[in-house]
Amino acid sequence: MAASICRTLKCLQPTSCQNIKYGSSLLDVRLWQAVLQVPVRTKRRLFIPSSVNIKSKAQGEQERKARAAGVVIRQEYMERPINISCTAGIYDAYVPPEGDARLSTLTREGLKQRTEQLRQTAASQLAIRKIKDYDSTFTSKEFPGLGQQIFIDAHAALTEFNKEKLHSLVTERCYPEMVRGNRYKTLRWRFIESLEAPRLVHARCPDMISKGNLYGQVTLRMHSRQTLAIYDRFGRLMLGDEEEPRDVLEYLVMERHLVNPYGRWRLHGKIVPAWAPPKDPIIKTVMIPGPKLKSGEEFEDLNYQIPKPKAVQWNK
Amino acid sequence: MAASAVTWAGLAAIGRACGHIRSRLLGSSSTFSQVSCLHTSTGLNNKNWERRNRIVYPPQQKDEPRRPAEICHSRRQIKYSKDKMWYLAKLIRGMTIDQALVQLEFNDKKGAKIIREVLLEAQDMAVRNHNVEYKSNLYIAESYSGKGKYLKRIRYHGRGMFGIMDKVHCHYFVKLVEGVPPQVQTKTGFDQAKEYVEQLKNRTIIYSL
Repeated sequence: MAASICRTLKCLQPTSCQNIKYGSSLLDVRLWQAVLQVPVRTKRRLFIPSSVNIKSKAQGEQERKARAAGVVIRQEYMERPINISCTAGIYDAYVPPEGDARLSTLTREGLKQRTEQLRQTAASQLAIRKIKDYDSTFTSKEFPGLGQQIFIDAHAALTEFNKEKLHSLVTERCYPEMVRGNRYKTLRWRFIESLEAPRLVHARCPDMISKGNLYGQVTLRMHSRQTLAIYDRFGRLMLGDEEEPRDVLEYLVMERHLVNPYGRWRLHGKIVPAWAPPKDPIIKTVMIPGPKLKSGEEFEDLNYQIPKPKAVQWNK
Repeated sequence: MAASAVTWAGLAAIGRACGHIRSRLLGSSSTFSQVSCLHTSTGLNNKNWERRNRIVYPPQQKDEPRRPAEICHSRRQIKYSKDKMWYLAKLIRGMTIDQALVQLEFNDKKGAKIIREVLLEAQDMAVRNHNVEYKSNLYIAESYSGKGKYLKRIRYHGRGMFGIMDKVHCHYFVKLVEGVPPQVQTKTGFDQAKEYVEQLKNRTIIYSL
């Protein structure tokens, strides 16, 4: 050990004299690098392959050498999969009128709302006509019932977590939103009854990318009574109540790839209006990170207003 | 054992001895029962500790006591000795998480910093993913270290002898449980003596009047 260190120091001395003029920092680096190369006492090799000592290799040269040696490197594909069986969002979304399902039909305001709702816009009528071209069994009277049934089946499959059935009832855009975070949770959901018959309120036929590639998006309005209870991994109640039914007003968006003969009407998303009442808080208390205090400041003196979310319509 | 001076002849002798011992054990076990010779598979890459975080319990009834949340976390292939890590693991067994974090923060060992990181990660996971309400309401139920995969190197001795040097690695496992840590009853010598006297007093003579 001692003999080897003496050898390295001796070979350092001539190099160190030259390096003084280049600057002390460079000298230190060179010294450290040289000192770390402690020679290992192995058997003296008679043949060392040339590739061991070559430090710098150009990228092209390395590739050529590897190909010559017969080493195959698989190509890396920078790909991103695109799903063409459903669209990525809700185009030209329906804006639910303010106070929907809050005014009784007997008052004057309620009647006005009803007449407005019954007279659908021209664009919706056009879209419905286009859908009827491709899908002969589509009627604005029967379809809402089917849509509601699809909704009930999809949520029943979600409680059992039956992946195949869920994929057939729900589009690829809606699936992760329904399923995210629920893998280790138990959901208990029950559809008790429908308070009003579901109604078709909006329809659009956007075409994606190329002109003839039509997708039909239809919005249904549903007023129903449901129960929901979510239990976490240990069987403790996180949200909701299994026995307490709630009246729910929902705007569902169903989609179908019209040009595809094997396309099916599937749940694509929900529209949450801007005037929707806030959801119930979860049972546990959650810590929200507050403002960073500088030394000497007090939180009470800051009069910090907890930011409230803006009341905007958003798609689920 | 970090290094040992071994010759080639010695290694061969040890191998032969091991073979003898193994065959003897197998022979003895087969006479006792059939079940003990069954070999259940523990293959390479056993990540059973992480798998414990995936079990889902059925929903509890309203009258059942609330099941405490259990979070299992581990770190693999830490460059530290498992024996040295054991001291730190034993230190924090049974403490609340805040107490454990403080103790590890002011401990000088290398493993203390690593265990502290693991505990903080586990606490964060508990609050985010496992529905734990208060992050201080956790205590350390299980904490132990295990042997990781060792790298082998040569340690040179004099006279052309060598030893196989093990570059030791260890795993560290911890289980956090929600709630207050259970009180450990420490029995004093006086209590034990009292119990002994009680036992002596309760003796009777059978078939007596």
